[in-house]
Amino acid sequence: MRHALVAVVVLLVLLPFLWMAYAAFLPPAIVYSGDVLSGFGFTLENLKKLAPEGFWPRLGFSLAVSGAVAFLQVLTALLAAYALWNGVRLWAVFLFTLAIPAELLLVPLFGVLHQLHLLDTPWALVLPFAASPFTVLLVYQAMRGLPFSLVEAARIDGAGEGRILFRVVAPLLFPSLVAAGVLAFAAHWNLVLFPRVAVGERYWTLQVWIADLARRYPADWGLLSAAALLSTLPLVFLYLLFERRIVETFEGSVKG
Amino acid sequence: MRRLRTLELSAFGLPSLLFLGVFFFYPFLEVLRFSTWHWSGFSAPKAVGLANYRELLADPLFWQSVKATVVFALWVLPSFLVLSFLVAFLLEGQRYERAVKGILFLPGLVTVGAASTAWYTLLAPDYGALAALFPIPAWDQDPFWAMLMVVAFSLWRYLGYGVLVVSAHLKAIPGELLEAARVDGASPLEATRYVVLPLLRPAALFLLVVGSVLALQSYVAVFLLTRGAPYGATRVLGYFVYQLGFENFRLGYAAAVTVVMLVLTLAVALAQGKLLEER
Repeated sequence: MRHALVAVVVLLVLLPFLWMAYAAFLPPAIVYSGDVLSGFGFTLENLKKLAPEGFWPRLGFSLAVSGAVAFLQVLTALLAAYALWNGVRLWAVFLFTLAIPAELLLVPLFGVLHQLHLLDTPWALVLPFAASPFTVLLVYQAMRGLPFSLVEAARIDGAGEGRILFRVVAPLLFPSLVAAGVLAFAAHWNLVLFPRVAVGERYWTLQVWIADLARRYPADWGLLSAAALLSTLPLVFLYLLFERRIVETFEGSVKG
Repeated sequence: MRRLRTLELSAFGLPSLLFLGVFFFYPFLEVLRFSTWHWSGFSAPKAVGLANYRELLADPLFWQSVKATVVFALWVLPSFLVLSFLVAFLLEGQRYERAVKGILFLPGLVTVGAASTAWYTLLAPDYGALAALFPIPAWDQDPFWAMLMVVAFSLWRYLGYGVLVVSAHLKAIPGELLEAARVDGASPLEATRYVVLPLLRPAALFLLVVGSVLALQSYVAVFLLTRGAPYGATRVLGYFVYQLGFENFRLGYAAAVTVVMLVLTLAVALAQGKLLEER
């Protein structure tokens, strides 16, 4: 009974993924027949059709911006967490920003980017996400698990604070930093509405591009599924690689 | 020497404070000013005082959107809580617990665009893949089913998170407590009801607060699946703001709605603070 219920939940959760992977290789003839379960087929045609639509440069661009954001977020979070760990009273500030989802600020953020003349530049996709209270929380929680005597010992040895942070503390936190980085990468990778309003078509991220593809070819599921599958693979790959660390880091943050 | 070090350590907090200052606190304050403007985003803004707020109170679309948000929250919160608890209980101590948790967490990480594409092609009422197997309600035309679709999608995305929260609290319950209950003659069901559930109250409260905040901001699912249709039944506040600002180009008015939402969110956050203190 118990196992059957779990199996149903897992199946329902996985169904869209399995379908996406299946439909991506479905020949158009079956898709357009109106009854997609009528036959089986395997084709790479859908994947090949992505290139002329401009998929690959878009993928590269998205990898670059989301990667830059993940790197910056982890870096700023590492620095901030170290300050917090040493008793600098900043926690209230991060707690406040944590309570307000950034999505709510879509309109004023647009206004501010307008004032700063950053609209329609790649900077608009990177700078607003260079620091995240959530990443600070994750890194801080992990850092608190280390013995503070490490820092004290290094100080007695005469090491400067920057050196202690990057040579002593950061290497020990490496798994957590990677996990936080993957989460930051995923969150940015998944933005749809913000890039849509902040930049023009030139700098659209992959997600915005796919939403637009779905508008242009609403019936070509093979093509859409292929695009969806390939845009998901980088995340699934990263996730599978670091799954244990990510779930543990996340768990650490909700224990409170 | 000590003071110098404190100064240096404070400087470590500067980069994040700088970015949050410019791209969070500054917009947070500016939205108040924007909300007193008539502004399309292209032309120069015109100050109109509180006109946007007056219009807001009389706007049937705004109230419809408030209603849609409340209906969405009333659907999503109880089901989110019940499912998170149920699955966490089912998984507790099983061999496959870790693996299943990993899988449940996946939808939350995966691209919304890709996920909604998969959902759409699976579940489109007339020609979705599943429509060949059994009749699918016309969620593109029926307000009730449209809402259910958005709710199901949101649950699918966040269930893994809920399960993780409940499970983390579940593991923190000392085994001796359950042992004592057993010795006192409580059946497993009674032990769950009178020992475990009361101890999980903080987890429930936490999920309730997180869920409310999510309900207020969850408009990406709406944008990708229904676009607020049919007849605005799924036009939650977050999506209403997006439409006003970037489809109707009424950024001043959209800012006024944002202010209302910020007030609501802060109220929820304040309640959260109170509840966490209670713990």
